[in-house]
Amino acid sequence: MKQYIVKRLLWTIPILIGISFFAFILINLSPSDPAEVAIRVNEITPTAENVAQMREQLGLDDPFMTRYLSWLGNALQGDFGNSYVNNKPVAEEIAKALPPTLYLSLVSLLIIVVVSVAVGVLCAVKEDSFTDQIMRGIVFVGTAIPGFWAGILLMWLFAVKLKWLPTSGMMTPAAVILPAVTLALGYISTYVRLIRNNMIQNKRENYVLYGRVRGLSEKTITRHIFKNSLQTSLTALGMSIPKLIAGTVVIENIFAWPGIGRLCVTAIFNRDFPMIQAYVLIMAVLFVFCNLFVDLGSVWIDPRRREA
Amino acid sequence: MKFKKGLTVVMTAILCAGILAGCSGASANTDVSTKEALNYACTKDIRDINPHLYSGEMSAQNMVFEGLTKNEGGEVKPALAESWDISADGLEYTFHLRKGVTFTDGAAFDAAAVKLNMDVIVANKERHSWLDMVNEIKENVVVDEHTFKLVLNHPYYPTLVELGLTRPFRFISPNCFVNGTTKDGVSGYIGTGPWILSEHVDNQYATFTQNENYWGDKTKIKTINWKVMPDPQTILLAMQNGEVDLLFGADGDQVDLDSYKKLEAEGAYQTFMSEPVASRAILINSKSPITKDIKVREAIEYAVNKENIIQGILNGSEDQADTLLSKDVPYCDIDLKTIAYNQEKAKQLLEAAGWKLGADSIREKDGQKCEITLSYNAKNAQEGTIATSIQADLAAVGIKMNILGEEKQAFLDRQKTGDFDLQYSLSWGKPYDPQSYVSSWRIPAHGDYQAQAGLEKKQWLDETITKIMIEADDSKRAEMYQEVLTYVNDQYVYLPISYSKTKAVGITGLNGVSFNDSQYEIPFEKMYFSN
Repeated sequence: MKQYIVKRLLWTIPILIGISFFAFILINLSPSDPAEVAIRVNEITPTAENVAQMREQLGLDDPFMTRYLSWLGNALQGDFGNSYVNNKPVAEEIAKALPPTLYLSLVSLLIIVVVSVAVGVLCAVKEDSFTDQIMRGIVFVGTAIPGFWAGILLMWLFAVKLKWLPTSGMMTPAAVILPAVTLALGYISTYVRLIRNNMIQNKRENYVLYGRVRGLSEKTITRHIFKNSLQTSLTALGMSIPKLIAGTVVIENIFAWPGIGRLCVTAIFNRDFPMIQAYVLIMAVLFVFCNLFVDLGSVWIDPRRREA
Repeated sequence: MKFKKGLTVVMTAILCAGILAGCSGASANTDVSTKEALNYACTKDIRDINPHLYSGEMSAQNMVFEGLTKNEGGEVKPALAESWDISADGLEYTFHLRKGVTFTDGAAFDAAAVKLNMDVIVANKERHSWLDMVNEIKENVVVDEHTFKLVLNHPYYPTLVELGLTRPFRFISPNCFVNGTTKDGVSGYIGTGPWILSEHVDNQYATFTQNENYWGDKTKIKTINWKVMPDPQTILLAMQNGEVDLLFGADGDQVDLDSYKKLEAEGAYQTFMSEPVASRAILINSKSPITKDIKVREAIEYAVNKENIIQGILNGSEDQADTLLSKDVPYCDIDLKTIAYNQEKAKQLLEAAGWKLGADSIREKDGQKCEITLSYNAKNAQEGTIATSIQADLAAVGIKMNILGEEKQAFLDRQKTGDFDLQYSLSWGKPYDPQSYVSSWRIPAHGDYQAQAGLEKKQWLDETITKIMIEADDSKRAEMYQEVLTYVNDQYVYLPISYSKTKAVGITGLNGVSFNDSQYEIPFEKMYFSN
């Protein structure tokens, strides 16, 4: 197991280097001169002189590799440079925006788990019944609606018409409900289907038959089926965590949630390159590590995969 | 089959829920006379409101910081200066400062504070290059505690107007300076204005409270809650939910036209529209391969049906513009040639220019298709809709117009390099028009400069604008403005579309909603609640 962990950890090094290179090269692929962008976002008219001065200040005249290595070295120490827009350290801005996003993602994750397990198990137990059809229908419709539209519809229904919740912002504890539900909607269908299908598959396994022959109660049998059906869902859920965090971009804008997704959208519109680079890098690292943990977790559960 | 049945039941249930919710009617009006806080929603955070820089929201800067003068009702009026004297040669402005005024941190507002502020602004003149005024300041002099003298290099005529602009000539407490300056940031936002910024949470909200020691009329509302909501649709729903009391914005910012019309139709809100403030026009590049021909530019002007745009797209909410600047704008009440929609005339002009109709209904000349592109900032959906109307008009006379909606920075890149055929142009409105707007035509990074770059007399144009700014004689100045505006008009570099208006929507009971001269300011201090 140790050897496997070391091997996987070593593999992440070239992957992370590749990602960092990609994140850095973004700035060079953009048709806009970063120096001009940095000047313009502060409402200063670019002139040949101030552009040259800004290029020097940002070190843009240095060779590509020099700039990359310098950026990477600083990034490893948590220094992603300063935002072009407000000149504040990018790391500080991200550190401020990350907690609301993590909070939103966590609440979403809870909703996904609770709803998916409840609906998935119910659908599997009542396979092909009217309840199963209704539940799957609801989940299907919920997932089919694009996030931005679902968000607006939920806001209209629960805030404007029913007056149960605030439309947006982060001022009250209840404000997290609508964005979290909207974010969760897109994932619930996947997990309901995974749990339902795996449970139905497991229901036909021999151990279920033996259990029944032994006289175990249906409740106990269902519990065993459920436990044996979880592995695929847990693997998928592990990969959903970074997706949830990265997927808050639209939701945060609609619900005025001051998280990292909104920070990213604003940075993209302003072409705030240091912020975009840091966002891409952090998200990529998050994906890599979540993937790693999921792999290690599944190997720990199923040792046969180690040899594979 | 069963799944389909289930899906049908779910869809029906959702539809019924929607209908039932929809039947619950508009929000009920409640007693607002005791309300002490006004909730204002904005798509943007106030950000850094340092009055000497440009990163912050202007309307927030205007709440906290004041200048020596203010622009009100088309006139320059006293603000922190009670009165002023101008020397005969127009080079010295002596301001008599209002006595007893303090910054909200208790620091005295006196001539020394004025000089400190003016000196740091001038020291950072590169940042204010759009404003000629900064280059014209020769010296800032403290005459006595309550008298300040501004010495200029030339008799720069818009001095008093520009001192009243929202930025940069506004005063911040010297205690907020960092290392003796403001150019690298400030340690606080302390001004003399009617509001105090009491709390600000980045990208969430800002709270402004009444300045109880304000030298002028105190605000009627105690608190302004500035809520940040990036999505205009959310703002609309928040207003319907009673979380927002006021929407206010220029050119589709905060209040898009559809939302404005919807709220107006609901009848539960009050809607307000300013007098025309700025000019919405299309720049026609005089340097581009096809539009460099004046006849093509003239043909484009004849081909576009502005009435369609005004009535069909802008819902009649703006006035049609026949000249770049409205006759209400200072020095612009002049007779200029105007063009009425006439597609036949447009076709004749194109024929005369050698553009013959091809088999595909697109004109050609020397093997080149008459194909041009209009680029716009994709974030402004309304501009995209206007573009489609222009596209159809031009197609009818044999010009193929492509529409290119792009990100703001890409749009600005194109503007700066002159790599466009047609682009949107918005003037800055009062009190920037005409002087600051016309002055910006000389700056290469501006689309106006690039569009004019192919004109035969571009150099003369720029030189004349420079002379206008420092011409002491008003009649000579008016004459020069006439020459400049006539030349630009006759060269068909601008296709005037409309004069834009600022829009506001308030809840019933919110009174005193009005508009400042500048479309970038919101006069919260005049608002109050009463039934």
